[in-house]
Amino acid sequence: MTFQQTPETGSRTAFVPVAVQYRGIQWTRLGFSVWRIAVPVVIALAMGALALLVGGKNPLEIYNMLVREAFGDWARINATLTAATPLLFTGLAAALAFRAGVFNVGVEGSFAFAGLATAVVGTSVGGLPPVLAVLACLIAGALAGMLVALVPALLRTWLGVDEVVSTLMFNFIVVGLTAWLVQSFFLAPGQANSATAYLAETAELAPLVPPGQLSIGFVIALLLVLGYAAWARHSRLGFEFEAVGKTPRFSVAQGLRVRTVLMISMLASGAIGGLGGAVHALGVVHRFSVGFSASFGFTGIAIALLARFNPIGIVIGAIAFGALAAAGTTVQLFVNIPIQLIDILQGTVMMLAVAQFAIPRLRRRKRATSGTEDLA
Amino acid sequence: MIDSIIGSTLLLAVPLVLAALGGAIHRCAGVVNIGLEGQMLVGAFAGIVASSVTGSWLVGLLVGGIGGGLAGFVMSLVITRLSANEIIVGLGFNILALGIVGFTLRAVYGVSGTLRFPDQPRLPRIIIPGLDEVPILGAIVSGKDVLFWFAVLLVPFLAWAFANTRWGIRTRATGVSESATASLGVRTLGLRDIAGTLAGVLAGLGGVSLALGVSGLFNENMIAGRGFVALAAFYFGRSRPLPTALACLLFSFFDALQIRLQTGGGFSADLIQTLPYLAVVVVLAWAGYSGLRRRTRITA
Repeated sequence: MTFQQTPETGSRTAFVPVAVQYRGIQWTRLGFSVWRIAVPVVIALAMGALALLVGGKNPLEIYNMLVREAFGDWARINATLTAATPLLFTGLAAALAFRAGVFNVGVEGSFAFAGLATAVVGTSVGGLPPVLAVLACLIAGALAGMLVALVPALLRTWLGVDEVVSTLMFNFIVVGLTAWLVQSFFLAPGQANSATAYLAETAELAPLVPPGQLSIGFVIALLLVLGYAAWARHSRLGFEFEAVGKTPRFSVAQGLRVRTVLMISMLASGAIGGLGGAVHALGVVHRFSVGFSASFGFTGIAIALLARFNPIGIVIGAIAFGALAAAGTTVQLFVNIPIQLIDILQGTVMMLAVAQFAIPRLRRRKRATSGTEDLA
Repeated sequence: MIDSIIGSTLLLAVPLVLAALGGAIHRCAGVVNIGLEGQMLVGAFAGIVASSVTGSWLVGLLVGGIGGGLAGFVMSLVITRLSANEIIVGLGFNILALGIVGFTLRAVYGVSGTLRFPDQPRLPRIIIPGLDEVPILGAIVSGKDVLFWFAVLLVPFLAWAFANTRWGIRTRATGVSESATASLGVRTLGLRDIAGTLAGVLAGLGGVSLALGVSGLFNENMIAGRGFVALAAFYFGRSRPLPTALACLLFSFFDALQIRLQTGGGFSADLIQTLPYLAVVVVLAWAGYSGLRRRTRITA
C-alpha cells in the first residue's frame, strides 16, 4: 500500500499515514491477491486428487460432482448457503480481530459457549412473542461469546500476555465446561447422549424458503459483513484498528487508543462468534449437544486469512467452504468416498493460506536475458 | 490403590512427556508447535501399521518415529521456508493429519474409526525381578516399556545438551533472537527445521507409545487432545526439560485420578480435563504480571 502525508493543517501536525485512494481497478494488487489465493487452493486440490487416486477414484469426476452438488439447483444452493452461514460469522469474527493485529483463535470457544447459552435461554422464552424471544437468544449468545474472550482480552490488554495461546486454551476450557454444564444442569430428560432440550418454537428462526434450512441468520450475517465494510473504511475506530494492526508501536507513539482497540477487537470478535453460535442453534440444530461446532471457528480463521480483512473475500470464502461441507456430505452418500477428503482440502488450504509464495519474476528474467543477448 | 494410581500415572505420562519434550525443543528454537497432536496421530498410525505388517514392535517404533519426523519436517518447512505463521500452520496441519489418516483408514483398510489387527505386537514390558514385589518402588520402576526408559533418560540428556552442546546453544540462541543469531552466521532456518523434525520424531514416538504401549490398537480419536496437553506442559515448564516432564506427570496424575474417580463417582471428569489448560492461562498471566513489574521497575 502506498502512503502519503496528511495535508498541512498547521504547526506540529502528526505524520499519520493515510492510504492513497486510487481510482479504477488496481490490476497489480488484484493479480497478487489472485495468485496468493490460487496457489494454496490449487495445491489443496492436488492433495485431494492424490488421496482420491489412492482410494481408486477419478478426481475430476468427484470434483465435478462436488460442484454440481453444491450449486446444481436451488435446493442445493440453499443447503450451501445454510452451511456458509456460521462460517460467515466466524470468518468475520476472526477478520475483525486480525485487523487490529490480534490473533483470536478462540472463536471456536465463543461459538460453542454461545450455542449453549442460546439453547438454555431458548428453552425458557416460550411465553414471549417470537421477535422478543429470538432477540433475547441472540443477545444471550453474543454475551456468552464475549465472556469467553473476556479473560484473554484483559490479559492481552493489561498484562501484555500473548493472546494466541490463551485463546487456544480457552477453546478446550469451553469444551470441558459446556460438557459439565450440560451433564449436570441442562440435560434433556430421556436423552442418552449429552444434549439439552429443544428450544421453544417461538425462538426458532423460520426458514426463508421452507423446504430448505436457510434462515434469516444468513441475512443477519450479510448485514454484519456490510456493516464491517463500511465501519472499517469510514469510521475513526476502523482506521485506528488498521493502524494498530499494522504498526502497534507507532500507534502508541502517536497517541492512538491502543488499549481500547485491543479490548474492543477481542470482545467484538467474541460477540460476533457468539452471534454465529446463537444463529446456528436457533436456525439449524435447535438445541445444544456435545460437538455442537464442527470446527466452524477454525474454518473461519482460514477464511479470514485467505480474505485478508476484505469483506467480499470473506463472503466468497465462506460460501466456498460452505459448499465443500454441504456437497461433501451428500457426495459421500452416493459414491463411497470418505468425508475426510474435506478435511484434507481444508487443512491444506489453512496450512498454506499464510504462506508466502514468491511470484515467478517473468519480467526481470526477460530483461536479464535480453541484456545478455545485447552483450553477445 | 496407590500402586495402581502410580502405575497408570506413569503409563499415561510417557506419551505426554515425549511429545512435550519435542515441543520444548521446538519452542527453544522459537517456534510454538501446535501440530503435536497431528504428529502424534501420524506416529501412532504409522507405528501400528508397520508393526502389524512386519510383526515386530521395534519396526513399528522406528517407523512411527520416522513418520512423525517426516510430518514435523514438512510442517517446519512451511513455517521456515514459506515464512508462514506457526499457529495457523499448526492448526491446519492437525486438520490435514486427521483428514489423511481418516481417509486412509476408510479408503485402504475399509474401517471407520478403529483399526485393530489380529496379532498386534505390543511394546514388551521390562519386569525387574527383585523390585517387582516392593510396594511403591515396584510400581515406579518395574513393568515399564522401552519408551518409558527412553523418556526417563531423555530428560537429563536434553537438559545437558541444551546447556553444553553446540547444537543446544545455537538452538536456544535462535529462539531468543533469530536476527541476532543469523547475523553471526548461524543457519537459523536449518536449526529450526532440525528442531521441528526432532519435535515430530518425539511426538511420533509418543503416538507409538499410546498405540503399541497403552492400548494395542489404533483409533482416529485416540490422541484426544494430548498434543495440546503437551503444549500446556511445555508452557508450564517454560520449555526446560525437567519442569516440563514434571508438568506432564502432574497432568497425567489428574488423568489417572479422574479415571479412578469416574468409577467411584463424585468429581466431574469434564472439569478435571480442563485443569491443564487453566494452568497454562494462569502461568501466562503470572509471566505477564512479573514481566510487567520488571518493566515498570526499570523505567521507574
